[in-house]
Amino acid sequence: MNIRILAVEDDERILTALTFALEDEGWQVVKADSGEVALAEFHKETIDLVLIDIMLPGIDGFELCREIRSISDVPIIMVTARDDTHDIVAGLEAGADDYLTKPFAPKELSARIRALLRRSRSDSTNEPLLRVGDLELNRDEGVVSLGDKKIHLTRTEFHLLYELAENPNKVRSREYLLEKVWGYGYFGDGRLVDVHVRRLRTKIEVDAASPQYVVTVRGMGYKLQH
Amino acid sequence: MKNRSRLWHRRLPLRARIIGAFTLGAIIAALFLVIITYGLSRESMLRQRETSSQEQFFANARQVQGALRAEDPDFALLLESLPSLSGSRSILRTSENTWVSLSLAPSDLPTLLIDEVKNASTARQMRYRLEGESQLAVGLRLRPSQISTLTDVAYFEITPLSEIENTLESLGLILILGAIATVLIGASAGLWASGRVLSPLTDISAVAQALANGQFAARVETTDDPDLMPIIRSFNDMAATMEQRIAKDARFASDVSHELRSPLMTLRASIEVMQSRRIELPERASQALDLLAGDVDRFEKLVQDLLDLARSNSGSIPSDLVNMTELVEATVAMFEKQPPISILDGANNALVIGDKRRLAQVFDNLLRNAEKYANGATLIEITQSEGRVYVSVEDAGPGVSPSERELIFQAFTRGNAAKNRGTGGGAGLGLALVDEHTRRHGGSAKAGNRKDGHRGARFTIDLPMVGRK
Repeated sequence: MNIRILAVEDDERILTALTFALEDEGWQVVKADSGEVALAEFHKETIDLVLIDIMLPGIDGFELCREIRSISDVPIIMVTARDDTHDIVAGLEAGADDYLTKPFAPKELSARIRALLRRSRSDSTNEPLLRVGDLELNRDEGVVSLGDKKIHLTRTEFHLLYELAENPNKVRSREYLLEKVWGYGYFGDGRLVDVHVRRLRTKIEVDAASPQYVVTVRGMGYKLQH
Repeated sequence: MKNRSRLWHRRLPLRARIIGAFTLGAIIAALFLVIITYGLSRESMLRQRETSSQEQFFANARQVQGALRAEDPDFALLLESLPSLSGSRSILRTSENTWVSLSLAPSDLPTLLIDEVKNASTARQMRYRLEGESQLAVGLRLRPSQISTLTDVAYFEITPLSEIENTLESLGLILILGAIATVLIGASAGLWASGRVLSPLTDISAVAQALANGQFAARVETTDDPDLMPIIRSFNDMAATMEQRIAKDARFASDVSHELRSPLMTLRASIEVMQSRRIELPERASQALDLLAGDVDRFEKLVQDLLDLARSNSGSIPSDLVNMTELVEATVAMFEKQPPISILDGANNALVIGDKRRLAQVFDNLLRNAEKYANGATLIEITQSEGRVYVSVEDAGPGVSPSERELIFQAFTRGNAAKNRGTGGGAGLGLALVDEHTRRHGGSAKAGNRKDGHRGARFTIDLPMVGRK
């Protein structure tokens, strides 16, 4: 199966160089130099992963990310300005699964892409149903049922919930979750976990401000309360 | 004179001078009041006593004068009948050597007064001491009467002033106590005033300290005091200018680094594409590619450090709990040549609060520095004492000369070692970033030589420790 990556970047030189590097990995690259073009391409083609530079003319990266997220669960990697914490958190909150800061090594990008794609593929293997209280995780569909309500999660959110649900009440550190869900080592960014937990809560909790399922254990990490 | 006063100024702190001035002022005012009050009270009391004594004296003298008209007056009886005010006593001289008195001897009177009265036609008075007490003596030569044979009659009265003196003594005591109280009040007013006067200085020095510690937004609170306004305003202006300058420098560095990121991105990606095809490249082109790749790495590191340095002046630090053992181990793991890590004094799993990535950068830069100048670090040591965790990185290089120990942490400074070895490699940003990041985490970085007697440098950073895992 041919993997197709939509790369959105307004700097033509960077786009070309990245395309070369990604094609060397054996992936197909669909190029877009603006958010508008990217949306058009996304509707036209089957896309397995989207790479978005936040700084875009017209529709900016955050908006593009939200637009795509509203219609698809496709993994999204954001490219942010290195020195902007705000951009990183905003990008993750807009629905990105992971981020990279410029200038990054294309090898690092490939590793991130592989981590996200590997997860996507492993999602399609048959796994038994996981049940914690009212929560029912169907790994096959990437869908969570809460009572008789069906909740749609992105793959990363689902994977995160799954890691916690496998051992209810066991506290998982951010480092552990970063490694399991994103494939990061010690220097992974804990904000990835925090923002994804926030996103997860808005979907599965009755009141995201006082969570009943995904509980923060201060200074330790997170656990799924049962 | 000028020199002397300057010397005096230098010796005494401003605070002591203000308190001294207030105290001196209070002493002068109190002394002045005491002397005036005491003097005036004394005068008026004595005068009053004199006046009443004189009144009585003249009344009595008139009676004695009247008695002289009799042929043979009984002076003793007369004297006894005379009213005696405030313990006054009287004595009458009827002739040269004849004295009549109930309670006085002629020797009790001052001779001077006796002589004066003898020659004067009006009353004479005098203060003197008798048996240790102050007395007022008044005397008058009486007019001889036609009837009497007595021609040299003089009447004297003495009134003790001891009562007034006792009162004055009490008054004096009260005044002295009052004066002491005044001086004390003056001194404490001086203390208070010096505090008031110095408080703007204290504020300014606190703010200057804050500025020195890198809190560039610190300002002295403004007041309406017209005396203090100019200095506070100019101080704040200075601080604002400094802040702007620093912000401008940082922004410039940040802007430049930002702009450099895009071409770097292209360079990096293109080099990787070429590297994956190096088999297809001729020998020389592949060698050139390695040079290019190496320098792009270096360039990228420089841009990142510059950006970090520029950025570290602004914004807050994330407050993660960072396990130093894990952090150091993870950082060391990224190096090819890995020095042994020695953890002493229960410093294992020491926790600090801060930014994991920046702290990792600190050790990364120290290890890179050792790699660059000393062929790699030889030992990493983690210790703790008194709430601080210390991490030292040692190497076997040329060491750091005492003159370079401060300088080495400034941006774009390179150690003598680099010059000696002529590599010229590396921009001197790594250690500047070490210093900057540790300071931002409430710690410090120090450079020195190894303590075990071997040649080599020893870089130590310390950070506040919040506990152990």
